[in-house]
Amino acid sequence: MRGPSARAFQQGFLKNLILSLQACGSKARVSSSGSASATMSLQERKRAIKSSADIAMATARGGGARWPRAILASPPSSSRPWKASSPGKVRARSRKIVRRCFRTRRSRDGTGGGDSFARTRSVVSSSEIARRLVRKRTKVLRKMIPGGESLDEISLLQEAMDYVAHLHAQVDVLRRISNAVQ
Amino acid sequence: MSGHRAGRITDDEISELISKLQSLLPESSRRGAAGRSSASKLLQETCRYIRSLHREVDDLNNRLSELMATMDGDSPQADVIRNLLRLL
Repeated sequence: MRGPSARAFQQGFLKNLILSLQACGSKARVSSSGSASATMSLQERKRAIKSSADIAMATARGGGARWPRAILASPPSSSRPWKASSPGKVRARSRKIVRRCFRTRRSRDGTGGGDSFARTRSVVSSSEIARRLVRKRTKVLRKMIPGGESLDEISLLQEAMDYVAHLHAQVDVLRRISNAVQ
Repeated sequence: MSGHRAGRITDDEISELISKLQSLLPESSRRGAAGRSSASKLLQETCRYIRSLHREVDDLNNRLSELMATMDGDSPQADVIRNLLRLL
């Protein structure tokens, strides 16, 4: 994403973000001065910031992709469900599945140990394993793209590209602002 | 835009899509990876990259929000923000 469209997005995003952060901040200040009970907890505040940023990004993106609509349509807590699975867990699960393929063949044969790899390869081919890995990882990718669950694979890849490009632009502008106001 | 496609997506279109996606990912993920595992590797790298971007966005947003919360209204930083909002 280059030039004028990137800049337009960054400006729109920043404006929406700053306005809603200001609103968050003033709400917190008002309640702290007005009542004995505490302001938003740190967790709540972080969640509010996250949802402000997601909404700012979605509204700045506009209608050219599906993920903005998915963000705006769903409640804030569900727009980022990826946290359920860490990268380590996903890798471990993939390895487990591959191991299970080999183990199943071995127990059916009644043989154990060393040479089952050569034998297993003819039944659970490497291309089958590759297909299963692709399916698994496509599932993970669906969870990371807002609205990704209902997309076909091609659209999912297109959405992923658009989403990545805009996340990148978001990081870029936030870095520059942070440096400017520090 | 999808209306012009009469039938299935061609292999060429898929390759183009994949290489476009690959060009968005950080350099380190582009080594080798030809052949049967490239699709799953690409998906994995994409997910990893999105995760790291999400983390970075969260960090930056939290930092910016803290900066704004503690900013004195008369400070030069507050002016920067105000000017920014005027320009946008």
